[in-house]
Amino acid sequence: MKMEDMPLSGPDNTKLEALVHDIYSELVEDACLGLCFEVHRAVKQGYFFLDETDQESMKEFEIVDQPGVDIFGQVYNQWKNKECECPNCKRLIAASRFAPHLEKCLGMGRNSSRIANRRLASNNNMSKSESDQEDNDDLNDNDWSYGAEKKAKKRKSDKNQNSPRRSKSLKHKNGELGSSISSESYKYNYNTGISYETLGPDEVRSLLTTQCGVISEHTKKMCNRSQRCPQHTDEQRRAVRVFLLGPSAPSLTDADAVVENDSFDIPDGQMLMSRLQWEDSPDISPTDSASSKASTNHSESRKPKKKKRTSLGLNSGGSGSSVGGGGGGLTGGSSSSSSSQSNISLSTKKKRPKLSAPSITSIYDDLN
Amino acid sequence: MTPFLDVFCTQTDRHNVFYPLLRQIMNKDSQMRAAINQKLIEMGERERLKELLRAKLVECGWRDQLKAHCKDVIREKGLEHVTVEDLVTEVTPKGRALVPDSVKKELLQRIRAFLAQHATL
Repeated sequence: MKMEDMPLSGPDNTKLEALVHDIYSELVEDACLGLCFEVHRAVKQGYFFLDETDQESMKEFEIVDQPGVDIFGQVYNQWKNKECECPNCKRLIAASRFAPHLEKCLGMGRNSSRIANRRLASNNNMSKSESDQEDNDDLNDNDWSYGAEKKAKKRKSDKNQNSPRRSKSLKHKNGELGSSISSESYKYNYNTGISYETLGPDEVRSLLTTQCGVISEHTKKMCNRSQRCPQHTDEQRRAVRVFLLGPSAPSLTDADAVVENDSFDIPDGQMLMSRLQWEDSPDISPTDSASSKASTNHSESRKPKKKKRTSLGLNSGGSGSSVGGGGGGLTGGSSSSSSSQSNISLSTKKKRPKLSAPSITSIYDDLN
Repeated sequence: MTPFLDVFCTQTDRHNVFYPLLRQIMNKDSQMRAAINQKLIEMGERERLKELLRAKLVECGWRDQLKAHCKDVIREKGLEHVTVEDLVTEVTPKGRALVPDSVKKELLQRIRAFLAQHATL
């Protein structure tokens, strides 16, 4: 029978009403059945009574609504005394000092990846100077208690020369003041360096990808500043990489550093620079400490001066005179020539090849 | 009402949950009812009605009331021994009684409207 045939109006109204009620009760029973299945499943799976708790625990965890305390009934100044255990070194640190400590301890902060690298390296090779540095760090680490903080701050201010901010201010002094300060900081920084003989090739490679790594003439240690370290030139860094890793090394240095060197290839350039310095000041023997100081002065003073080219003449004059003062035995001619040398190195990229062109040819003759 | 369904049903079948439903469907007007149900399902109206009813019942707290009742039943019987049949027999009468009048009226109205629209085509 089809629906179209069914006479649903008129006399069949009661029938229709019964039908409607039947459909309705079907729907309600459906809903009941659904609920029953759901509850049964919950019971069998064991999560039906999860929201029920016994009276004791209800009382125990009741929300406290009183002035002066939080919802757990605790006085809410207590967080100040909270201490956390450092996951790395297992010491207890005041909560407010925990983040700075982690930065130092794990090396995950802004400035501290360098420090962490150094620590890793020191763990690997256990060199003597590194253990010194480690002790220094422990002294400076003022995270352990509030009482120690004041003392540590004082100590920090007068001895933490290795912090990046401090060394930045020193950098400017290096450019403009005499050689005495610069040589001191120079030595200081090199004391913190890494002796490259004790490292394996892989460690050397990883170090050179992250650090400056220029090897000191005095201490034979590697500089552990960043790749943009202002104390050394890009040429010095490149030479170290060639020396330690072979000719394929320059791939480690960043791209713009390679671009900068546009006229000649890397080892030649480095040799040339050192040659030029020695040739220009023949009075000084290569073993003289003054000459090495002078050369470091050049390299140190280059970076800051590049930035402020307006005061170039003044700066170069100052560095020249400082070389004279530091060396002691230098003649006036040699000091002026060294200042002119610094001028060459300071000049722009376009100027440099033109100015040093005759010297290059003479050196090639020399080599042949 | 011809209980011809009973001919095919054993005694246990008569206690089946769906027995009354089956009987309702298969009684005298079974064919007409079947046709109407068919139409309800085909048009999707049955699903819509179900959804509407579910929403309304949750809204008015019917569900929570029934759940509380279920809890009592389960505590009475013991967690391990509860069956779906127990729950259905305990819960369905109460569920039917607890449906608010407004919900019932609205639903009946919708069903009537549907029948009037489609049965007289």
